[in-house]
Amino acid sequence: MKKLLVLLLTLVMAGMLLTACGRDDAEDVAVNELTVWSWDPAFNMFAMEVAAEIFERSNPGFVLNNVEMPWETIDMQLTTIGISGEHHLLPDIMLIQDQAIEISVLTFPQLFADITNSGINFNEFASGKTDFSVVNGRNFAVPFDNGVTITAFRTDILAQAGLTIGDFTNVTWNQFIDLGRQVLDTTGMPLLSTYGVGASFMDVMVKSAGTSLFDANGQPNFVNNPAFREAVDRFIEMVDAGVMLLPGDWSDYIGTLAAHDVAGTLAGCWILGTIQEVGPAGVWAVTNIPRLNIPGGTNYSSWGGSSWVITSNANFDLAVAFMNYTFAGSTELYDRILPAAGALSTWGPAAASTVYLEPQPFFGGQTVFADIIRFSQNIPDFMGGIHHYTAMDQIDIALGNIINLGMSIEDALREAEAAVRFEMGL
Amino acid sequence: MEQKKGFKLGLNQKQGLIGWAFLSVAAALIIVMNFYPMFRGFLFSLQTGVGANMEYAGLFNYRRLLEDPQFRQTVSNTFFYLAVQVPVMIVLGLILASMLNSKNLKFKGFFRTTIFLPCTVGLVAYSLVFRQMFAVSGIVNTIAMNIGIMDTPFNWFGTAWSARLIIILGLLWRWTGFNMIFYLAGLQNIDQSIYEAARIDGANVLQQFRRITIPVLRPIILLTAIMSTNGTLQLFDESVNLTGGGPGITSRSMSHHIFNAAFQGIPQIGYASAMSFVILLFVGTLAFIQIKIGDKR
Amino acid sequence: MYVFLSIAAALSLFPLIWAVISATNANTDILRGTMLPGTHLIQNFNRLTELTDLGRAFWNSARNATMATFISIVICSLAGYGFEIYHSKAKDRLMSVLLLSMMIPFAAVMIPLFQLTANLSLLNTTLGFMLPTLSTAFLIMLFRQNTRTFPQEMIEAARIDGLNEISIFLRMYVPTMKSTYAAAITITFMGTWNVFLWPRIIMISPESITMPILISNLMAGYVADFGVIMLAVTIATLPTIVLFSFLQRYFAEGMTGTIK
Repeated sequence: MKKLLVLLLTLVMAGMLLTACGRDDAEDVAVNELTVWSWDPAFNMFAMEVAAEIFERSNPGFVLNNVEMPWETIDMQLTTIGISGEHHLLPDIMLIQDQAIEISVLTFPQLFADITNSGINFNEFASGKTDFSVVNGRNFAVPFDNGVTITAFRTDILAQAGLTIGDFTNVTWNQFIDLGRQVLDTTGMPLLSTYGVGASFMDVMVKSAGTSLFDANGQPNFVNNPAFREAVDRFIEMVDAGVMLLPGDWSDYIGTLAAHDVAGTLAGCWILGTIQEVGPAGVWAVTNIPRLNIPGGTNYSSWGGSSWVITSNANFDLAVAFMNYTFAGSTELYDRILPAAGALSTWGPAAASTVYLEPQPFFGGQTVFADIIRFSQNIPDFMGGIHHYTAMDQIDIALGNIINLGMSIEDALREAEAAVRFEMGL
Repeated sequence: MEQKKGFKLGLNQKQGLIGWAFLSVAAALIIVMNFYPMFRGFLFSLQTGVGANMEYAGLFNYRRLLEDPQFRQTVSNTFFYLAVQVPVMIVLGLILASMLNSKNLKFKGFFRTTIFLPCTVGLVAYSLVFRQMFAVSGIVNTIAMNIGIMDTPFNWFGTAWSARLIIILGLLWRWTGFNMIFYLAGLQNIDQSIYEAARIDGANVLQQFRRITIPVLRPIILLTAIMSTNGTLQLFDESVNLTGGGPGITSRSMSHHIFNAAFQGIPQIGYASAMSFVILLFVGTLAFIQIKIGDKR
Repeated sequence: MYVFLSIAAALSLFPLIWAVISATNANTDILRGTMLPGTHLIQNFNRLTELTDLGRAFWNSARNATMATFISIVICSLAGYGFEIYHSKAKDRLMSVLLLSMMIPFAAVMIPLFQLTANLSLLNTTLGFMLPTLSTAFLIMLFRQNTRTFPQEMIEAARIDGLNEISIFLRMYVPTMKSTYAAAITITFMGTWNVFLWPRIIMISPESITMPILISNLMAGYVADFGVIMLAVTIATLPTIVLFSFLQRYFAEGMTGTIK
C-alpha cells in the first residue's frame, strides 16, 4: 500500500519536474521591451521589425518580442482572455482587423487602452481608415495597412477585346458589366473572381456609396436599402452573365488568378503582392472600382486592412512613444516597407515621399502607389457596426440561396435581415 | 465503500481499496478536467450578456435554441453526415477487413498499412490537403477534365451538396482504415475452420458474411458505431478547415456553430454552452439506443 | 478482390502522395493543378526554415507528445487494471459516468478549462498542455476491456507467491499486455501530436510553438505558399507514420480484446 502511494507520488513529481524544464517564464518584463502579436512574417511582422530597428536608434537597448499569431487566434484569445479576466496575458501591442476593432472594444472595454490623448496625431491618417477605430468618439488604434479597393486587369486580355484600362476607369457597375460581356464574348474569359459567396464584395460596394448595412439605430437594413439592393442586383447580374467567377474559398480565388482563368480582379490593394507573384510582368494595370448608380455613389471603397491597438496590459508610455516615432511618425518606415513588403500606408506624410511616386515596371510603368494613395483620400465616410460579422454570414447565406437555390432576391434578403435581428436579440 | 464478492479469491476490504487507488489518479483527472468545466459550462448556459458582463437568465438560451433557424440547419447538416458516413464507413470497413482476413491473400501487410495510414495524418493537415485537391484549379478537376468526365472545372465548395459530399469523403478517407483495424482484429479470433465448414455446407460468400462474420463482430461493430456516432456529432475540424462551413452555413457542423457563437464576432458564451448541452443529449440518447438495439439482436 | 483492395489502397495513398509531390513544386504550379514532381523541394525547405522555427516546433511537438503519451499510458493502464481486476459495482458505475466525458464537444469546455488552467498558473507550460489529455475515458476503457483477457490465475498464483499488488501489475501485467500498450501508444501519440485547438489558446509564447500551430501560421499570411505548406504537412505527418509502422504488428492484436 505504501509502495503504491510512493509510486504515484513519484510519478506526479516526475511529471512536475519534467514540465518545470519546459516552462516558459512569461513574467520576465524588461523595461525597454514590447511584445507584439501579428500574423504575417512577410507583411505586418516584417513592418514591425523595421519599426523596431528605427525606434532602437533613438532608444538604445529597445527589444521587440515579435510574436506570430494568426488573426483567428488573436480573435479567439480576445474572447478567452476577456471572459476569464486573465488580462496579464495580453501583449503590449497587437494587430487587429479593422472590422473587429469596434466589436472588441465594445465587448471587452477592459482589454484596450484609450489612446485619444496620447499625443498621436490621428488627423494625419485618412479618415476613411480611422473611422474603424474610433468608438464613442475615442481613438483605440493606430492605422496600419491600407485597404483601399482597386480593380486590376491584364491589359493584354483587355486589348483582345479592343479595350484599355481607361475604359474601366470612373465607370458605373452597369457599364462595367457591359464591358465584361464584351471581354467574355471575345476572349471567353470572365472579367474577375472573388472568394466566398460574395458578402465581402457586397460590403465593399455598399461602403463605396457611403452607406451601411445598418440603419442609424444599428438595426440591420437589407430590404429597404437602395444601395444594398443595387449592389445585390448588379452582383447577381455579373454572376449570371458569367462575368464574375465564384471559386469558393480564399486559395481557390488566388488559384483563379494563378491559373490565369480571369482577366483581372477587384480587391483591397493587399492583392498587389499576389498579382506580382502570379504575373505576367508588364501587362497589369490598376484603376478605381465601379460605382453604384445611385445618389452618393463613388468609385472608392475599402476592403480589409488592419490597425495596431495598445492593450490595457501594455507598458503604455513606451508603446505610445514607439507608435508615435514609427507608424505615426516615420516616413523612413513606410518608404522601406512599401517596396519590400508592398505595405501601403494611410498616413498622409508618407504619401509625399518619392518612393510612392516611382513608376512600377511590373504595372507597365504606372505610378501605382501614388494612384492608390489618391484613391484612398476619396473613400467616403461610413458607419461601422458591431454586428458586421453576423451580417456578413447572413448575406453569404442569402447570396448562396439566390445563386444556388434560385430563391428570389426579396425573399432571401428578408430572411437574412430577420436572421440578423434574431442573432442580435441577446 | 461498497464491496464485491464476485471474485473466487474472496475480495477483502484491502483489495477493494487498492483497486480504488489504482484508478484514483485517472478518475480524479477526468473529474477535474472534464466534469468541472462541464459544470461551469452548464452555469454559463443559464446566463446571457455581452462579453464578460453576464447575468442569470434561466432557460432563456435553451428557449432561444428552439427558434434558431441556423442552429436547426447545423443540426440537420450534422445528422446528414451521421446518417450517410457512419453506415457507409462501417460497411466498407467490414468488407475491407474480411478481404484482408482471407487466408491466401498476398501483400496483406501492405494493404493493411496503406489503408490505415490516413488516420495518422493530423486533422489540420488532411483538411488542407483535401481543400487543395478539390480547388477549382486543383488536381481533382484537372484529372477529371483530362480523362473527359468534365468539360469545365466544377466548383466543389460552391454548392451545398458538393461541399457536404467532400466532408463525407474526407471523413471516410480518414476513418475507414481505423475502423477496419478493429474488425480485422475481431475476425482474427474466428477459427478459419468455421468458414470451411460453412463452405462444405454450401454457404456462399455473402451468406458466410451474414451468418458468421456479422454475428461474431457484433460487439465490435457496436463499439465502432458508438465511437463514430460520437465523433461525427462532435465534428469540428473538417467543417472549419475543409469547407469553412460554406457556402453560407450549408455544410457547417454543430460544433463549428458553437465555436463561432463563442469566439467569432460578439461572443455568446451562454448560448454556445446551451448548444453544447444539446449535443451531449443527442450523443447520450443515440448511444443508449444503439446499445439497446445491439443487445437485443 | 485484388482490384477492390488496390483501389482502396490507391485512394488512401493518393492524398498523401499528392502532398509529397506538392512539396516539390512551386506555389503557382500547385494552384494551376500540377500533378508531376517538381524541382522546388530545396527552395521550399529553405523558405520553410526561413519563415518558421521548424526545429523548435518539431522538438516541442515531439517532447509534448512523448511525455503526454507516456504519462497518460501509465495513468490509464493503472486505471483500466484497477477497474477490471478489483472490479465492483461501484467501480462499474463510476466507469459509466466517466464515459460521459467523451460526449461533450471541446468548444463547450474550452473557456472554463482555460480559466482553470490559468488559475493553476499552468498557461504556457507543458503540464498545462497535457492535463486535459492525460486521462481519457477511451484509453481507460481500452485497457479495462483488454484486461479481461488477462488470466486471473496468474494473479492468484502471484499473490500466493507473496508478490504485492503493484509488483503484480508491473512484473506480470505490463509484459503480458504488450500489444495493448502498443495500440494505446499509437492512438495517444497520434492524438497528442496533432492536437491543435487547446495548445493554440494556452501556449501563447512563441517558444512553445508546435507543428500543427506552425502549419496554421503558414496559412495565416495574405499570400499562402502551398509548396511550403505541403512540405510542412509532409514533415508533420512523418513521425506518426514511422511510429505506426513500428508498432503496427501489435496494433491490430492490441485492439482485439476491446470487446469480448
